[in-house]
Amino acid sequence: MTRRDKWIPYGLVAPYILHFAVFVAFPVVFSVVLTFHSWNIISPMEFVGLANYTRLFKDRLFWQAIYNTLRFLIIHIPLQIVIALALAELLNRTIRGASFFRAAFFLPVIVSGVVVTILWQQLLGYNMGMLNRILTAISLPRVPWLDDPTVAMYSIAVMVTWKNVGLYVILFLVGLQTVPVQYYEAADLEGATSWQKFRFITLPMINPTIFTVVVLSTIGGFSLFIEPYIMTEGGPMNSTLSAVMYIYRQAFQYYHMGYSATLGFFFALLILFVVAIQKRYVEQEI
Amino acid sequence: MAEVRLKHIAKAYTGDSRVIQDVSIDVNDKEFVVLVGPSGCGKSTLLRMIAGLETITDGELFIGDRRMNDVPASERDIAMVFQNYALYPHMTVFENMAFGLKLRGLPKDEIRERVSKAARLLEIENLLDRKPKDMSGGQRQRVAIGRAIVRNPQVFLFDEPLSNLDAKLRGQTRIELQKLHRELSATMIYVTHDQVEAMTLGDRIVVLRNGDVMQYDTPLNLYNHPVNQFVAGFIGTPPMNFLSGRITDAGPLRFESPNQEVMIDLAETGYGNALKPYRGKTVVLGIRAESISHQPFTDRTFHRQPVVVEALENMGSETLAYFLVENQRFIARLSAEQNLSFGQRIDLFWDSTKFHFFDAQTEQAIQP
Repeated sequence: MTRRDKWIPYGLVAPYILHFAVFVAFPVVFSVVLTFHSWNIISPMEFVGLANYTRLFKDRLFWQAIYNTLRFLIIHIPLQIVIALALAELLNRTIRGASFFRAAFFLPVIVSGVVVTILWQQLLGYNMGMLNRILTAISLPRVPWLDDPTVAMYSIAVMVTWKNVGLYVILFLVGLQTVPVQYYEAADLEGATSWQKFRFITLPMINPTIFTVVVLSTIGGFSLFIEPYIMTEGGPMNSTLSAVMYIYRQAFQYYHMGYSATLGFFFALLILFVVAIQKRYVEQEI
Repeated sequence: MAEVRLKHIAKAYTGDSRVIQDVSIDVNDKEFVVLVGPSGCGKSTLLRMIAGLETITDGELFIGDRRMNDVPASERDIAMVFQNYALYPHMTVFENMAFGLKLRGLPKDEIRERVSKAARLLEIENLLDRKPKDMSGGQRQRVAIGRAIVRNPQVFLFDEPLSNLDAKLRGQTRIELQKLHRELSATMIYVTHDQVEAMTLGDRIVVLRNGDVMQYDTPLNLYNHPVNQFVAGFIGTPPMNFLSGRITDAGPLRFESPNQEVMIDLAETGYGNALKPYRGKTVVLGIRAESISHQPFTDRTFHRQPVVVEALENMGSETLAYFLVENQRFIARLSAEQNLSFGQRIDLFWDSTKFHFFDAQTEQAIQP
């Protein structure tokens, strides 16, 4: 190997290393550094020790945002899993137009979140929304889908589920197709009903997929931002203020860069903790 | 009371091409019937139709007195052992065996009793807490059988259950299956492509080819009186030797191979009358390897054939000698103490009372 040859491999990986250093390693390290400082981008950074952390624990709005996000997840994750699994079960049979439905369910996944959100705004509006117009047409009272603090977050959860469910349908379809047909045939001979086959064979056999879907939709759900940002701006009464939205506000509206980084750091640990719990209780060895 | 009756059963997947043509079989109560044939003959499809895993295109299926065509698999009271066992990987052996009983809502005590009884019978009591992935192929196979017998079904179906085992274990398991059949005294239908398994296990054997029944008979009858050339060639190892030739009657009635390498006087074979109508026509002579000897028979008629030894396989107890007749490979099963060598010219003696003749056109056996 000549001297030059020796450097070729390094040259080949250099673009990636550079990208990783600038866009991953540096921001991570910098944000950890930031958590011990006060900084508004313009003035020089000022070391504040653990002040950002003590502030975090007293910040009622942050905890409200965490609570809102959890409320979102409580609806979103089960809804997502149940609907995605149900649709995947239906699509896994040989029905006419299965590939059409597969594409149709997947379409919202690739449409921009902003577009979807604006579309749903039209659906969920109190006076002119299509949903409420249908309700009034059949003499039912209007529902304040996005205007009632107790309802708004759930409306958003339904919408986000609608947008993402196609992706999880595909994941579940893959999972369902890995279950060998003999298990169902054996169960048929044992006298199992459709429900029993689903409960005792399908569910345990696709546990790895379920776990993947739970983790992915947890992480995705925790980063809820675009939908409330566009639709409700966190209202009414901060009821749809998500944690990420609050972190964003601290950084780019109030320019509390240090505090925002602290919130982000803490939030990442929280997600890690939740996923670890899920791993403990959802994942089963086959 | 669980006889299984198939009446003109047919199966087509798409259009007109039938994988099962027209199969009629009666399996008696407590009988062990083996479906055997080369791959693609429809034996597994037939079994799956009996199980209710495939629909029946045409014909009628009865189990006991009940017509089962439209009865779902779960209500046919049948247990099946699958080729790859189909044990649920997330359940322990106990849970696997108890699954069907649990679904039927049997009380826990009875489930435990039945499972441990079956486990004792199959000597797998020490495996009850294991999961399938922690067991050997032979152990899984026992569990699969255990899962079938706990339910005490009317009929047992086996779909090539031994094909994933090594040769030694296959032999042992064959004997255990025989024993099991005696102990359970249940109706069993068993699919295999291995004619040795068929011969050793079956009370009666159905030989299938291209979705049709070739012959349905006891193992010995299949062996001694095959109804056509396919059955004759399929049953028995090494396979029966075949040689086509013409029947001539210039002088006594004779069988002549194309180049006159083999000329047999038919008067001494018992086929003298039966082959008269075939004068001038082509027939196929069949002779099994064990009906060829290296020394003349003293108590029966024989045909002397000079041959050149082409290859030898010494099995210890016997020697398989290969030689060419009319450029076709023949096998003779000779006693082991022969001092034979390759290329040696010897006379072999064909037991002419053990000849089979088949119509070359229809492949049907010609009865003596």
